[in-house]
Amino acid sequence: MADMDNKLTNKMTWVQVFIAIAFCFLTAFLFMHNDALYSQPIFEVTKVESGKTSKMTDEFQNVDHYHQQTLYGKIVNGKYAGHRLTIDNAYSDAHAMDHHYVKGQKLFITLHTSPKLHATVKDLKRDAPIAFLFALAISLLFIILKWKGVTVISSIVINTILFWIAIMIDHNNDGAAVILIFSILAVIFCFVTLFLVMGWSRKMLVTLSAVLVATAITILITLMVFGITHEKGVYYESMQYVTQLPKPLFIAEVLIGVLGAVMDEATDIVASLATLKTEKPELSKMQVFNSGRQIGKSIMGPLINVLFFIFMAETLPMTLLYLKNGNTWQYSFSMNMSLGMTSSLISGIGIVLTVILSSLFAGLWIKGDER
Amino acid sequence: MGSITCLGIVLLVLMMIVGGKQGVTSFLSMVVNFGILFFSIVLIAFHTPPIIVTVVASVILLSITIFWSSASDNASTTAFQASCVILILLIVIIIPIEYWAQVGGFGLEDSEELEGLSTYIGIDFTKIAIATAILSSLGAIAEAAIAIASGLDEILTQHDKIRSGELFADGVFIGKQIIGTAVNTLFFGFFGSSLALFIWFYGLNYSLGEILNDKVFAAELIAIVVSLIGVVLTIPITTWMMSFRLKKVQDKTMNK
Repeated sequence: MADMDNKLTNKMTWVQVFIAIAFCFLTAFLFMHNDALYSQPIFEVTKVESGKTSKMTDEFQNVDHYHQQTLYGKIVNGKYAGHRLTIDNAYSDAHAMDHHYVKGQKLFITLHTSPKLHATVKDLKRDAPIAFLFALAISLLFIILKWKGVTVISSIVINTILFWIAIMIDHNNDGAAVILIFSILAVIFCFVTLFLVMGWSRKMLVTLSAVLVATAITILITLMVFGITHEKGVYYESMQYVTQLPKPLFIAEVLIGVLGAVMDEATDIVASLATLKTEKPELSKMQVFNSGRQIGKSIMGPLINVLFFIFMAETLPMTLLYLKNGNTWQYSFSMNMSLGMTSSLISGIGIVLTVILSSLFAGLWIKGDER
Repeated sequence: MGSITCLGIVLLVLMMIVGGKQGVTSFLSMVVNFGILFFSIVLIAFHTPPIIVTVVASVILLSITIFWSSASDNASTTAFQASCVILILLIVIIIPIEYWAQVGGFGLEDSEELEGLSTYIGIDFTKIAIATAILSSLGAIAEAAIAIASGLDEILTQHDKIRSGELFADGVFIGKQIIGTAVNTLFFGFFGSSLALFIWFYGLNYSLGEILNDKVFAAELIAIVVSLIGVVLTIPITTWMMSFRLKKVQDKTMNK
């Protein structure tokens, strides 16, 4: 009987895997042929001719090669659909700001009409690989988690919408009161996410208060440290894509960045302590607090590392470029990785404070008889 | 004293208060991880093949993160094996996607920062993008693997006669509980770190199509979704590893 069950589930899984693969490729196929949706002209490469290659050496003795190529193809959308064009392109081995194009790729181009129709390449059209990856992630969520996958996806979608609304509000305020806007957003984020994960209950309120208080104290500690050390070693000028005052923006970034980890942790601790209190209602407040600390102790390390890798890995390309441009290790670190390091440390403080606060609040307010 | 040192001391003290000796170990794991990460960049700058450096560094980083956590021996060994398998799977997914999307290097949004820097350094930035995507997923994989392996190990110590099929069901159950919040950790981490970029997009009126095809955004998005896939895959793979170990142990005791 068990054997038959097993066979049945296996068969189900294979069907699911097949559907998932088909779904991924179908999505990619659709996005490869969505040119009509774009108002920018898109060019499909049908033939590539390689031109000459020249060697170049920069002032730091970095050797690279510069390749010329000629792209033949046609415009596939808009007013000039069907027009054949020839475009010159050049790329380096580093591909830092340029691309090596091959046959079959679709590119966004800028059209010039005078004296006659010609074009320059703007960028590669890369929505198909992104869509493919999304489809893959969604199918895996469904295969492994079944209907729980829907909750996970809807929580991501809701949070993305909220996030976008906050950015709209922030922009309409010309970047004033960034911290206030994102603090309010943080409260809403926590409320919505915890409500989706735990439902409306006393446990959820305990978790919510632990998360909010821990995050608030973390930001206060950060501001205090920045005050005492006069922000020595914090290079706001190295922040990327800054369009408004960098310091409040940095604080807002860290605030949002740490929130997920803190919620993750608080949920774990409070849920475990609630179960514990139900099983052994005779436990004192202090004992509950200490068990919370035990649980927190083991999860805080890996959790800090999650954010550490997210914050640090993305600084890698720029750091490499600085090193290759004859800068010292120290300078390359300061200008690229120091802000990532600062964010990681602040998040770490938030994560540790959450252990203390969620154990404390659970000890004080969780009742054993709650179901 | 610099702000980084001061924040580091605050964190170390707090970790000692909460975790005692374990707190110090966790703090050290972050410091050592940073050292390895920086050393890898230096190696890449000396023209060591980037992907090989990344894979070797990733295995070391995973082992430090997992073995220096307070998980039991059985749990951490399983978590480590599972995360290595996931690392291989992710590399298989990441490499073709990065070459397909060509998100290596820098976008137009980076122009201002690139002023005065030579970008013709002879190292392929597509490979650097692959390295970045792999490295940013490591923490999330390690955390999920530890959580599931510890949960299963707890079940094993309580019911040592459990069949591996039942253990698998338990693993998926634990996985379902952790996945919702683990996904939040990832997404908020990425939302936070790309807040400035999103404000840029909104401020300069990028259309949805422009955002979706933007190099910088695509690079970030690929890194998030790859980490998400890694976390989801952790559930079945860690559970398989654990039931495989269980089977081996049970077979041994049966033969005796």
